Amino acid sequence: MDFTEVFQQLTQGFQAFTWGNALMLAVGLVLVTLAVVKEYEPVLLLPIGFGCIIANLGMSYEGGMMKVIYDAGISTELFPLLIFIGVGAMIDFRPLLAMPQMVILGAAGQFGIYGTLLLAVLLGFNLPQAASIGVIGAIDGPTAIFVASKLAPDMLGPIAVAAYSYMSLIPIIQPPIMRLMTTRKERLVRMEYAARPVSKKLVVAFPIIVTIVVSLVAPSAAPLIATLMLGNLLRESGVVDRLSKAAQNEIINIATLFLGLAIGSTMTAQNFLSLSTLAVLALGLLAFVLDTVAGLLFGKLMYVVTGGKINPLIGACGISAFPMAGRLSAKMAQEEDFSNFILMHAMGANTAGQLGSVVAGGLLLALVASFGGM
Amino acid sequence: MIIRVKVNDQIFDVEIGDLSARPVVAKVGSETFEVTPEEAAGAAQVLTNPAVAPEPLAAAPVAVPVSSGAISTDTSRTVVAPIPGTIIAITARPGDSVTHGQELCVLEAMKMKNSIRATRPGKVEKIHVEVGAQVRQGQPLVSFTD
Repeated sequence: MDFTEVFQQLTQGFQAFTWGNALMLAVGLVLVTLAVVKEYEPVLLLPIGFGCIIANLGMSYEGGMMKVIYDAGISTELFPLLIFIGVGAMIDFRPLLAMPQMVILGAAGQFGIYGTLLLAVLLGFNLPQAASIGVIGAIDGPTAIFVASKLAPDMLGPIAVAAYSYMSLIPIIQPPIMRLMTTRKERLVRMEYAARPVSKKLVVAFPIIVTIVVSLVAPSAAPLIATLMLGNLLRESGVVDRLSKAAQNEIINIATLFLGLAIGSTMTAQNFLSLSTLAVLALGLLAFVLDTVAGLLFGKLMYVVTGGKINPLIGACGISAFPMAGRLSAKMAQEEDFSNFILMHAMGANTAGQLGSVVAGGLLLALVASFGGM
Repeated sequence: MIIRVKVNDQIFDVEIGDLSARPVVAKVGSETFEVTPEEAAGAAQVLTNPAVAPEPLAAAPVAVPVSSGAISTDTSRTVVAPIPGTIIAITARPGDSVTHGQELCVLEAMKMKNSIRATRPGKVEKIHVEVGAQVRQGQPLVSFTD
């Protein structure tokens, strides 16, 4: 037996290990630390962080177990869709159905996506990449991953990390913008919750109608909206409580674990350590800020148009990130006046934002396809 | 600005800060009080009604004299649910004297805990709900004696 061969075998792991890998171990550890210590979206950042660590120890998505998981759920776009079944089962669309005018806010909140897309194109990204970066602005993890895995799979890691870490940073990023963009008088606006009764029939019919309409209008978004609405139908039908509970717990949890791991496994040194990663993180943040600003501006417009009846704060939750964004708007209003409860309106705008970001994601896919970027 | 206020033949010099700020900070001698008027009308009332002394927020929860009612123009006897939800905790009890801003109960809506606070000082007469109750918007939660 040749001793040098034994030595080579024993040190195999070290030979393939580069400084880049060491740096990525640190990145993975930072993500795990953010999850454990700060509890920033731990359900996602912990598996992503751990996936990142093992990807740089020879267990990336290019082979073995991680390749099986990646091929099964990311390249087929299955995991984000399974997660959407769970998200749908957790969403209550009643506040939106009681105040359908909130839909406009959900649409206005998507402006940042397109603004950032244009900027990314100007900075030299190609159209599919720029679209994937812009979609971070909606702060909708599954949609961002769905769009990126179709358009720019090479940037999946940074996009997922940006989408989920900014989601957890909502309470830090949004309040200063909200304070800057609105006056105290505007934040004090009270909105009476006009409890327009929402019939059970409407609540059950809603997911079915939305699936049909959106699938016809934005076919690229069809899988996203269909799974989201399937989950919602499970919840609202009231007859499949077991399925609804499974969607809200087991299905979304298992899909989240493997989605996180698979995303982490794409974060190898050669993939992640580049200027474009920094650009994705920076532009993603910009997209989020622009979305917030656009939503607030639209909220202010509604404030003027309605003669001061709409609190512009609810414009800021016209993004996805349900229900964190809605809660934050409600909290901001209460900071000014503890007896002002705009929660239901905020949730209406927030669920509209959830729908809006899915449709915006679908429109982006259609846009890129029609410009021949694919 | 400084306003001279006379309460029960005793004269106070009250220094009032920015009126548009909330709470309005009022200084009497070396003591500082925080006053939260209900609406703009409340602020005006503080100025025009010389019989009114600002009610310190940190004051012990004793029955409050009627004259201090102006710190809050809200004189309604009942606190109603602002939004639909579930009562998950009740902090006030019948007979309690509560101050402006004190928590009465906690209403959970859309999985968010909302603290329902008194918008006026007063003595709690009755709690109309119990923990776990589903409430509609506008449903009475707590009523005051006066």
